[in-house]
Amino acid sequence: MSTTPRILPKGVSEADFDAALARFREILGADGVLTESDQLAPYTKIMMAGDDADYIPSAALLPTTTEQVQGIVRTCNEYKVPIWTISTGKNLGYGSAAPGETGQVMLDMHRMNRILDVDPDVCTALLEPGVTYQQLYDHIQEKGYKLWLDPPAPSAIAGPVGNTLDRGVGYTPYGEHFMFQCGMEVVLANGEVVRTGMGGIENSSSWQVFKWGYGPYIDGLFTQSNYGIVTKMGLWLMPEPPAYRPFIIQYQDPEDIEEIVDVLRPLRIAQIIPNAVVIVHTLWDAGTHVVRKDYYDGSDSIPREAIERIKADEGIGEWNVYAALYGTPEQIEVNWKIVEQAFGASGKAKIMYGEEAEQRGGGFEYRSALMKGDMNLQEFGLYNWRGGGGSMWFAPVSQAKGSETKDQTELAQQILGKYGFDYVAEYIVGWRDMHHVIDLLYNRQDPEETQRAHDCFAELIDEFAKRGYGLYRTNTEFMEQVAGTFGEPLREVHKTLKNALDPNGILSPGKSGIRQ
Amino acid sequence: MPHTTTVLSRHLPSLTGGALLLLGSLLSTTALAETPEAREPAEVYRQVCAHCHAPDKAVGPEITITFPEAAWEARGNYIRNTVRHGRAAMPAFRAAKISDAELEGLIQALVSGELDDAPAQGGEE
Repeated sequence: MSTTPRILPKGVSEADFDAALARFREILGADGVLTESDQLAPYTKIMMAGDDADYIPSAALLPTTTEQVQGIVRTCNEYKVPIWTISTGKNLGYGSAAPGETGQVMLDMHRMNRILDVDPDVCTALLEPGVTYQQLYDHIQEKGYKLWLDPPAPSAIAGPVGNTLDRGVGYTPYGEHFMFQCGMEVVLANGEVVRTGMGGIENSSSWQVFKWGYGPYIDGLFTQSNYGIVTKMGLWLMPEPPAYRPFIIQYQDPEDIEEIVDVLRPLRIAQIIPNAVVIVHTLWDAGTHVVRKDYYDGSDSIPREAIERIKADEGIGEWNVYAALYGTPEQIEVNWKIVEQAFGASGKAKIMYGEEAEQRGGGFEYRSALMKGDMNLQEFGLYNWRGGGGSMWFAPVSQAKGSETKDQTELAQQILGKYGFDYVAEYIVGWRDMHHVIDLLYNRQDPEETQRAHDCFAELIDEFAKRGYGLYRTNTEFMEQVAGTFGEPLREVHKTLKNALDPNGILSPGKSGIRQ
Repeated sequence: MPHTTTVLSRHLPSLTGGALLLLGSLLSTTALAETPEAREPAEVYRQVCAHCHAPDKAVGPEITITFPEAAWEARGNYIRNTVRHGRAAMPAFRAAKISDAELEGLIQALVSGELDDAPAQGGEE
């Protein structure tokens, strides 16, 4: 018999927890309630620089129906048991499948994995939260539908519902995922079920085609939040275009980032280049397939001299723009001329597509796959760059203006350098905004380095906020700090909504810094 | 334009719509696709493992190399532990993602070399 102290939800007695578990077993069956340590082990693996002891669940629940989720939240209210909801649990570097804090019960939605509808005419889907991109991809292939997905980099093993709810991004013209969401079914904390948009109309045929419904639009309340549990979500799928041309533009000088963004912005806003373009720094482009120690073995930030050697050896630019054109062959020819003219003006850019781009190495092959919605996890090669399994995504937003990009790049490199980490980064270009995504890679096997990564991330948040830059998303270790940068009035509104919708605070306490 | 991929239009979405689906009745009946209870080892490998571990991906180490039978148990324990707990950058996979039955089947197929030639990306163009 184990002598290890039992993990309990915060503020819940052992007797009440046992009573709740018994009720959960009535609802889900014994195999839908996990309490043994070996069953819970996969829910404890994190990549962020937090203490493992802070992220241990007390149990995990595996519902398969909306009705079971309703029963679970009613039980949680009765016994004041907090649950932390995950879908596919592959939000790697953001908290993975671990709870927000030790003692919370995992609500693991992965077994709710039905593809309820894919409509090839209006190009929509209705999915449960456990559906993975790979599952949906296979279904579309099997049916022969000419529809494309828009996966984030973890593609195959992650899922559209969870990624959209965390407001993730992909790389096709449908890259801003929440923009292409349409209609939700949500279990509220009181056990009631609400369908958003047109979903409240019985037998509505327009739930997945018209977002706004009638009255206040509320779908956004259920993203990056803890106000309800989404059990179904509609999304729009991109029709496969008649033609597709991925391309790469390389620039060699660090200062060129300013020109790239200013040339790109009008092309992106006018939809000449319609997809979520990435501007990838050398170390990211190389890091997906090159190991750091082959170029530098120091524990400080990799020096300029080593970066230049990587660029020369790998044929990689300081900045590498991956983008694509979509449409008919004739449309692509017209737009290609515009792209060539715009980027060719200064004489600094090297523009490549087709065989020339394929032979150039770097990330062209996998980027080409992602920009057409294929399943590809090559980006995880970044985790081999430094090794040790530590990763945190620092992702401040900026305007798509070269001056801001230059400012953010310099600030990030200065702070990362101070703590001995590398600037492994890319910009993802939206219509008018950019996500400056920096993978803070560190050796999580080394406690000193882990603490250093933690301190570095905290300083990045604060220093960027001082200059007016906020994060679009963060990991569970830093949700409270990031929420603080957005100001008290907004936090008060979040709290007021929380108290109204979830008065017992049972749903994912601490998500995005929101509590009772 | 030799380097632009041109896609045949045989399944381009129709603008005429066709029969509209009544979601109310749809949701009360069956789903279009459900994951089977237990997937075959090759299917688990294709859907999950191959994206990183296939030789042409090289994100993670190759895992389909045949082991001598005397080492199957030890190797199996290593794989089971790695899948459930994760290891460095390798994520942990829960039973909700790869069931116990699927994992045992996968382990047997891996150690015995059954998946040695498993394709990295079945179903792709």
